[in-house]
Amino acid sequence: MSLQNSLALYPKTEKADVKKIIEINNITKQFNVNKKRITVFNEFSYGIKEGSFLSIVGPSGCGKSTLLKMISGLEQPTDGKVMFNGKAISGPPKGMIYVFQQYSKSIFPWSTVLENIEFGLRSHKKVKSKQEAKEKCMEYIRLVGLEGYEHHYPSQLSGGMQQRVVIARALICEPEVLLMDEPFSAVDAMTRAILQELLLKIWESIPITILFVTHDVDEAVFLSSQIISLGKGDEGVKEDLEITLPYPRDQVETRKNSKFTTIQSKLFSSIFEQEKQA
Amino acid sequence: MKKSWSGFLLIIILLILWELSSRNGWVDSVSVPQVSQILKAWGGLIITGELFNQLLPSLARVFIGFLLAAAVAIPLGIIMGMFSPVYRLLEPITEFIRPIPASAYIPIAILFLGIGDEMKVFVIFLSCFFPILLNTYSGVRGVDPVLIDTGRTFGVPKVQSLYQIILPASLPTVLTGLRISIGIAIMVAVVAEMISGNNGIGYYILDMQRIFRVAEMFAGIFTLGILGYTINYLFLVLEKYLLRWRTNEV
Repeated sequence: MSLQNSLALYPKTEKADVKKIIEINNITKQFNVNKKRITVFNEFSYGIKEGSFLSIVGPSGCGKSTLLKMISGLEQPTDGKVMFNGKAISGPPKGMIYVFQQYSKSIFPWSTVLENIEFGLRSHKKVKSKQEAKEKCMEYIRLVGLEGYEHHYPSQLSGGMQQRVVIARALICEPEVLLMDEPFSAVDAMTRAILQELLLKIWESIPITILFVTHDVDEAVFLSSQIISLGKGDEGVKEDLEITLPYPRDQVETRKNSKFTTIQSKLFSSIFEQEKQA
Repeated sequence: MKKSWSGFLLIIILLILWELSSRNGWVDSVSVPQVSQILKAWGGLIITGELFNQLLPSLARVFIGFLLAAAVAIPLGIIMGMFSPVYRLLEPITEFIRPIPASAYIPIAILFLGIGDEMKVFVIFLSCFFPILLNTYSGVRGVDPVLIDTGRTFGVPKVQSLYQIILPASLPTVLTGLRISIGIAIMVAVVAEMISGNNGIGYYILDMQRIFRVAEMFAGIFTLGILGYTINYLFLVLEKYLLRWRTNEV
């Protein structure tokens, strides 16, 4: 079954006993900044539900990107463990792909769109023939709307298109968890809206958990099934909100929903107050 | 690579000026013969095969020394770039030896290797070694950490990420090192041939000067200019092909 046909077949209904796919157990993370030891997380614990679209927001310096890096295995906590499917993470595990904020630095500039995506495929799947690999890649190229650009080099693409390549390269691995660090912060507003819709469409159509770090509260509310807001310093989770706005969401209609504006302004003022105190 | 017609035009104007200066006695026409005489001598050297006979041993030394240097310096540079302890161990000594002109090694090399081809190839090897080494480890160390982390998040093993990520990412810098060093190799070859030997373009230039065949001497020097230009041009073509992903921006 092709990806597009399976669209919306995967139910995102609320189940009472959803498995925790990622469990953060008592992690502490400290950094040395200018010879001073600062603590970003202090015995922090949290469980992430399988299949959720969880956004992590908070004021600058709250450690949201650090948290994502620790979950990905790219960085290690000073103390404590992150469990993925019940196993402690010691390095980047299979089944989890990290999408970097700096897409233009994460894409391989010497490879075409097709080759970039094939890199993802071959890192996670055995492919029998060149032909099979190409067909599989083309499926994902179509999914992110890049048909006709498969033989282009990244330098010939716009920022939004490069980000599509990076997303397709991650998705072709069929990860259980996609970790995204402010993936749309560097593209223009219209491209961002389009990429947000694309990402939601994908999340709704396949079994995947998405962890999404953003500084944009509006974006978080629009996309997420759940949002956690981290406090300044080592405060940990300040707010933990289920976003019950119905899916599929629409860039225009969803934003008119009174629930949307209520959550959005509540979260915004909470983070804004903290930023001002700094 | 845009054709720089104005640049070539300037060369032609300067050559005409040279011709006139020599013809009208503005400069000593024995030390600086007319361009037309140089071209005539040059033509003769090409027809008799003399020029080719002198150029061939020089080119052989340059390429052997250059290729040997690349074969050692690129792998070593990659190791230095990838492993910080190796870098910290070897970087100071590299920086210390690097500024010494390779021609300064010729006397030492003569002591150990004599005045034959071994000495010349060795000195050329040394002169190419450091620019290639330096550019390779700077290139590898300069690979963006995001690119390396991208490899990690996709679970690419270290060895595989060497040729899938680190090598292509540092290729532009490595190529620059290769291009710089082949220019240096030609210079050093000429110096080494002038100091000792009985063939090669460097030897030939000095020999012609000694027997007052000044036009032939200049023909030899012009040959070096054209040789350097051609090699650089071929390198740029190769770079343009290998780095085609970089040049064809919209």
